[in-house]
Amino acid sequence: MREIEPAISARGVTKSFGRQRVLDSLTVDIPSGVTYCLLGPNGSGKTTFIRAIVRLLRLDEGEMSVLGRPVSEVDKIYSQIGYMTQHKALYPDLTVQENMEFYAGLYGLKKQQRVARLEELLEMVDLSLHRSRLAGALSGGMYQRLSLACTLIHEPELLLLDEPTVGVDPRLRQTFWEYFNRLAKEGKTVLITTHLMDEAEKCRMVGYMRAGRMVAEGSPEEILHLAGLRPILKLWLAEPERDAAQLQAQGYEIEVEDGVVQVRLESHAQIKEVLAQVSPLDMRLAEPKLEEAFLRLSEAA
Amino acid sequence: MNRPAAGRVGVVALRVVRQLKRDRRTIGLIVFAPIVLMILFGYALSGDMSGVHLGLVDGGGHDALRAHLVSIQDFDILRLGSESDAERLISEGRLDGAVLLRPEEVRVLLDASSLQIAGAIAAAVQAGTAKERAGLETTGRTKGAENAIVTRYIFGYDLKMMDTVGPAILGLVVFFFTFINAAIAFIRERSQGTLEKFMVSPLSRVEMVSGYVLGFSLFTILQSATTLFVVTTLFGVPLRGSPLTAMAVVLLLGAGALVLGSFFSNFARSEFQVVQFIPLIITPQIVLCGIWWPLQSVPEFIRPFSYILPLTYAAHALRAVMLKGAGVADILYPDLLALGIFFLIFFAAATLMLRREVA
Ligand SMILES: Nc1ncnc2c1ncn2[C@@H]1O[C@H](COP(=O)(O)OP(=O)(O)OP(=O)(O)O)[C@@H](O)[C@H]1O
Ligand SMILES: [Mg+2]
Repeated sequence: MREIEPAISARGVTKSFGRQRVLDSLTVDIPSGVTYCLLGPNGSGKTTFIRAIVRLLRLDEGEMSVLGRPVSEVDKIYSQIGYMTQHKALYPDLTVQENMEFYAGLYGLKKQQRVARLEELLEMVDLSLHRSRLAGALSGGMYQRLSLACTLIHEPELLLLDEPTVGVDPRLRQTFWEYFNRLAKEGKTVLITTHLMDEAEKCRMVGYMRAGRMVAEGSPEEILHLAGLRPILKLWLAEPERDAAQLQAQGYEIEVEDGVVQVRLESHAQIKEVLAQVSPLDMRLAEPKLEEAFLRLSEAA
Repeated sequence: MNRPAAGRVGVVALRVVRQLKRDRRTIGLIVFAPIVLMILFGYALSGDMSGVHLGLVDGGGHDALRAHLVSIQDFDILRLGSESDAERLISEGRLDGAVLLRPEEVRVLLDASSLQIAGAIAAAVQAGTAKERAGLETTGRTKGAENAIVTRYIFGYDLKMMDTVGPAILGLVVFFFTFINAAIAFIRERSQGTLEKFMVSPLSRVEMVSGYVLGFSLFTILQSATTLFVVTTLFGVPLRGSPLTAMAVVLLLGAGALVLGSFFSNFARSEFQVVQFIPLIITPQIVLCGIWWPLQSVPEFIRPFSYILPLTYAAHALRAVMLKGAGVADILYPDLLALGIFFLIFFAAATLMLRREVA
């Protein structure tokens, strides 16, 4: 793990709109070179947090540093940040390529670099064939893809992506996540908000927000553990009562339901151990859902 | 904030041009609207010229003469402040003559270029004085009634209405379209989220507004070139000065309209609301800029407004360039100066309103 300085570090960050506390002494570290997924119900403050990182709003209280600089100086490193807003920030009356060229120009990409980058990203978001179409005439998911391409055009060190995969089909989402993980491997930091748990599971780190606070944080496995959720091994056995008693005697957590023995595992390594004891006719592994973990955690909070 | 970079200004300008270029309807309007407006205003107002436009500088006395002049149906009376105002308006062809009433004398200024109308005015004054004399005799106060009537001839240009209105319409149309288009463009930047994205990019606010000014200027050039072509060839308005000088005036006016539009976009939440600015921003300029009737006839308490509106200066400068062949040096003060100051003030206001911290 490359635990150098965190890419983003927030300490007691607080922001109110009128009487509503949207960020409530939020403290979080987002390490460099990881994919970090910010989850939370609608209105929990995810977008507000991202906007605070790029200083689109001023904090009421607390401190924050971004890529090693205090947030008050973040405007000096805007060229290292790629920010994809929740509304897509494109010009519908320009073509796909013109939109990309415009953003490339803003960041001062040289001609050669620009052409190469454009092709690479058009390929990645699968819009090469639509480059001359007006952005306004694209489908919703394509529009979203173009917006992502425009955000990535200047190869930013820090990516802030507010719901980048809304409306994108599963095949392309897969491509996106491979791309994000590749970026993280190259040392870039990718902060993403989403409402999709299967996406969160692909991230190195997950943070779950509720009412402006961080309720739980860690790798997806850590979150599951924190919520007390374990993988469950379901066993169909010839003599369920006997085998269940035997396993129980050895300290396994057992439940028998309709003749199916369910073993709550501490870790996946235990599967082997269990199978050394019994020989099931059939078996199935039920992985816990991150979604359930968050439901539990937010009930507890 | 970093120093403005020409590169980024150019990138924004190019984008603005690409967008406008694609908007065929707007291009059509930019080219044809001035022509339509000119035909409309030009002819509607030239019909009005059948009446006799008579200036009246009222220094007191001569009640009967005044009453007589006012009672004549064909006379449009325009009250003026001084003899020099009257002289100028006659020489510009906007008045056919003027009567100056003072207790001790009556002065009549007539336009020598339209003798028929001059004759009618002189006759009316004669008739009025005769009435006045008759009135005084019945009351027995003959003394002092033998005032001299001094008549002076001035050579007016005898301009047609189109000539006077044409140059100003050019300014009006450019102002109108640039203001509306700029305000809508900035509202879209907000609602599309592109503005928020700019804020988090190396593009500074000054660069952004400058890019817009540059991009729109190309269209202003297109618009003023076609309009100048049409007014001179089709409507026969003279172009005595350089077309480049005229274009410079229009460009400066257009730049002012753009930053004004950008500034006001902050007070509208939708494109629809922009339209509601028209009565507030555009109409006063049309009414008060001195195109349709001379500034001297605008009531005194409103007149200061005329002098803060950019169209007033643009119309004045364009008229001077086209009709009198004025060069840049002749219109530098006050016209170009005023337009420049207007632009700078609203450029600053527009950039300041594009705040980085939204809340
Ligand atoms: N500029 C603003 N003025 C007033 N209230 C605001 C503003 N921006 C956000 N809020 C409020 O702050 C709360 C958090 O909003 P935010 O957009 O951060 O939520 P979110 O977690 O991104 O939600 P979603 O999942 O729907 O995108 C909401 O209740 C919202 O109404
Ligand atoms: Mg959000």
